[in-house]
Amino acid sequence: MKELETFRSEPLLLEVGSEEIPARVLAAAEQSLGKRLEGVLQKLRLLPSEASSIKTFSTPRRLVAFVPEVLLRQPEKTEEIAGPPFKVAFDKDGRPTRAAESFAQKNGVTVESLVRIETPKGLYLGVRRLVRGRLARELLAEELPGVILGIGFPKSMYWTSKTGPRFIRPIRWLVALMGEGTRSRAIPFEIAGVEARNYTYGHRVAGAAKIRTHGFEEFSRKLRERQVEISPQCRRDRVKNDIEVLLEASSLRAVDDPALEDWVVNSTEWPRAIMGGFDQRFLNLPREILVTVMRDHQKYFAVEDVQGNLQPKFIAVMNVDSDPEGFIRQGHERVLTARFSDAEFFWQADQKRPLPDRMDILERVTYQAQLGSYADKIRRMEAITLEICAQLEGQGRLASGEKEQALRAVRLSKCDLTTQMVGEFPELQGVVGGLYARVQGEPQAVADAIYDHYKPQSVEDGCPRSVVGSIVSLADKLDSLVAGFAAGLDPTGSSDPFGLRRAGNGIVKIVMEHLKLNLLPLVAIVAEMDFGLPPAENLTSRLEEFLQDRTAYYLQSVAGLRYDTVRAMVSGAGTVPIPDLCELGKALERVHDTEDFQALAVAAKRTRNILEKSAKAEDFGELKGVDAALFRTQEERDLYNAYLGALNVVDSYEASSDYASALVKLAELRPFVDRFFDKVLVMDQDVSVRANRLRLLSELMAGAFSRFVDLSQIESTALTSVGVPTSGMENGKRMP
Amino acid sequence: MAREKRFKESAKGAGLTFQEMISKLSNFWAGQGAVCALPYDLEVGAGTMCPETFFRVLGPEPWKVAYVQPSRRPADGRYGENPNRLLKHTQMQVILKPPPLNVQDVYLQSLRDIGIDFRHHDIRFEEDNWEAPTLGAWGIGWQVMLDGLEITQFTYFQQSGGVDLDPISVELTYGLERIAAFLQNVNDVYQVKWNSSLTYGDLRRTEEFELSLYDFEMASIQTCRSLFNLYEEEASTFLERYAESKESESEALMDTGRSHMATEHGPRATDGLLPTPLTSLPTVHRFPLRKVYEFCLKCSHLFNILDARGAISVTERVALIARIRKLATGVAQVYLDQSTAVQEVRSA
Repeated sequence: MKELETFRSEPLLLEVGSEEIPARVLAAAEQSLGKRLEGVLQKLRLLPSEASSIKTFSTPRRLVAFVPEVLLRQPEKTEEIAGPPFKVAFDKDGRPTRAAESFAQKNGVTVESLVRIETPKGLYLGVRRLVRGRLARELLAEELPGVILGIGFPKSMYWTSKTGPRFIRPIRWLVALMGEGTRSRAIPFEIAGVEARNYTYGHRVAGAAKIRTHGFEEFSRKLRERQVEISPQCRRDRVKNDIEVLLEASSLRAVDDPALEDWVVNSTEWPRAIMGGFDQRFLNLPREILVTVMRDHQKYFAVEDVQGNLQPKFIAVMNVDSDPEGFIRQGHERVLTARFSDAEFFWQADQKRPLPDRMDILERVTYQAQLGSYADKIRRMEAITLEICAQLEGQGRLASGEKEQALRAVRLSKCDLTTQMVGEFPELQGVVGGLYARVQGEPQAVADAIYDHYKPQSVEDGCPRSVVGSIVSLADKLDSLVAGFAAGLDPTGSSDPFGLRRAGNGIVKIVMEHLKLNLLPLVAIVAEMDFGLPPAENLTSRLEEFLQDRTAYYLQSVAGLRYDTVRAMVSGAGTVPIPDLCELGKALERVHDTEDFQALAVAAKRTRNILEKSAKAEDFGELKGVDAALFRTQEERDLYNAYLGALNVVDSYEASSDYASALVKLAELRPFVDRFFDKVLVMDQDVSVRANRLRLLSELMAGAFSRFVDLSQIESTALTSVGVPTSGMENGKRMP
Repeated sequence: MAREKRFKESAKGAGLTFQEMISKLSNFWAGQGAVCALPYDLEVGAGTMCPETFFRVLGPEPWKVAYVQPSRRPADGRYGENPNRLLKHTQMQVILKPPPLNVQDVYLQSLRDIGIDFRHHDIRFEEDNWEAPTLGAWGIGWQVMLDGLEITQFTYFQQSGGVDLDPISVELTYGLERIAAFLQNVNDVYQVKWNSSLTYGDLRRTEEFELSLYDFEMASIQTCRSLFNLYEEEASTFLERYAESKESESEALMDTGRSHMATEHGPRATDGLLPTPLTSLPTVHRFPLRKVYEFCLKCSHLFNILDARGAISVTERVALIARIRKLATGVAQVYLDQSTAVQEVRSA
């Protein structure tokens, strides 16, 4: 294939006019349109150069792509079609055979014009011809509907019929233009009855009339005249600038909120910020509630002074140029006042019944059909809290009064679920409880613990601020988990209706980062508690397995450890307490690639193979432990002594959590292990010698190879440099 | 006296009265070729639940309708005290099947008609996908925001009664009290002028109080549950017997090989052909569809009351919704069977 010549090029403008595209998908849709268009232009060989110069733009009502140079016609190319093999095409006298003739005929050429084509498979007779490129307009007319309709959306729709196209919202006009000025021509295609033309539409109400366009520059200029700014970046700049101007005179600032900024940029064609105010009295409501209403419900920026004190003002972003009479501002103020009045009403109504007096309502609020009411849940949480506190006390890590604070917070933790405020703003559960506890005279520590007890909501979220808060959060999540598993609500695949994975992630994060507790023993104790829950099979082991998964997820996603490191650590389930896992993981990754360690990992795999696959239970004999008197070779004696020597040192490293040194020490066993496997046949004919050797390997496995981490799970970094175990020696085949 | 003063204050808004606004909107949609139907005489949570929407969006026939529908959401009750929140609010429901290409513009024109001037206001279409799990219905669309106030739910219906819709209908649901308060420039829906002498509060506040009282405090949970079960049983009995008759009908038809008889002459003619117990069974031509659907709606409303009473747990909620949904999808299926049967008769 050879490019023969390049042709003239023209700019291409594509606009998909749509009913309002949701703000949250707009940026991704814009990007997808650009990528897909570029891909098709490349495939069609319509781009004059490698470097892409596609520009994309978007507003809620349009996705726009502009390509400055698209070839008018595909370049010519020579095409080769292989026919019969050369040997078959000509007889021994060198005359064309029937095969050659019919091939020529089929391709409409004479035999004389056929050529030799060399291929990897040999020499062929073939035809070579120049193929003229097709017109870009024709090709694009065929391809553009697919480019547009192939944009991926999280939730698309039909708007004509079930057999019609799907898109994020109905497509109402299309601009597809090649060329500029008088030379510009629309590319003919249609989607769901909408034909691509050379006119667009301005702002929905401020510039709704048809706009003829002859090229990109004119297109964006005329749209700007009709109050559409197609560049999200320009809209963002304007919003920022407007806010700056609004606050210039005062020393106030808008509460920083990048997500809200994205939203206003992607939900407007012509953004203008205005400032409104609300009654000073609403500032008596907590900031959390005011900001939630402004940001989440009304999409307003909250305003604060330099000390961070909320002001009775807000900034709304309109999609019109101005609000000269202030009608729009008044409208927003009225809506916000109504919402704040609601919140104020809820606040006051809720205070009539303080949190402690709401326990009896909780008796009647079902937590889960099999698991009783929220009051039942609280009683379970109290028992779990006592256990957590006992463990912390055992380590001398609980200050005086903290247990009582935790118990009080647990008792009140779910009472806010019965308040009107949480009914209205469910996303503020916990926060509302904490705020109410504070004004109702509970100790600060108790109020804060209630406030924080849903944290962490994800592995990225922070832990509660205090130990007491983390205790309450842990008790809550442990109960959800244990009770949930008892009721058979284990998460499966993508289904996790009770959010137990999230609870599990929170548990791991808290014990790792804050409470430094050894999780599995605690879970085992909680699983054994008598809560009158439905009897469940293998409850503890299901929970352990689940929490190991969550731990692995945490270590990979938060601590950034490698997959095999994590697997080696969580499947080891050795003596390392969970809080030290991160330290261990980092230590492991430092020694991971050393030759000794790699070799030891191979030996560990080999050992596990022998112990689990080759040897039968009876091979281990009656005795317990290793008997030095039964050693027959120097290698096994040396290995055992080296192992015993290492053990002492490793113990002391472990006591000081110096895992790196402990692992290095273990790696020093490598030469002894290698020599052992080189010279010693484990499955000896002598039953007692064989049993003793197996017991030696068992001890090594437990005391070294899977002591902190399961070395057999470590992936080899360089398979060639270390011996791969051959199973022939160990699988017993050689035995007589 | 107090009332007079209120009127003077709000007079500067000079907006339409509640009843004028309703008649303007009705006239507008009548002008667009819509049938102006009457409100449905049963408790519904939304205009979507009325047969004029629930059934008519199914199947291929074009349909345009507009009607006012009082809609009850027990959990939103505020004893007539909250200025914006109502247990029973009034919707204007419009169905356009199929929707015109400029459906958004037509909708905006309806707002201009009642006096909203977009040169002075900011109208936005913000993503809001609507779903009614009890009806097996959902759609894609927006909440229409006027200066930050949600005034309409604008939805391209995708499914109703668990059935994929073809063609697609557009549903417009105007929140009339809010729009009226906006037009009249008042902060409290109870101050909205219903006509020139009475307010919305005069007509409705007591009712709000009484409904709130019952739904929040006094409804007997046990009675509501029993009623739910009774209505459900009545509806599902009909649906089960319908399924039975459908089965035996198709068996009988296969036996006799006279497949056209049943549809041509209706069920009476087939009585003699079919095994005797079938005489009392509902068939595709003799099925009290809209009555059975009423039982389904009764269940839906009782569910809402139980919910407002705080008597439903998270898991029970899922189960109850599934039970209502089963009735709704069953009824929708009978409706489709019926319209197919009617078409067969026509084409025969």
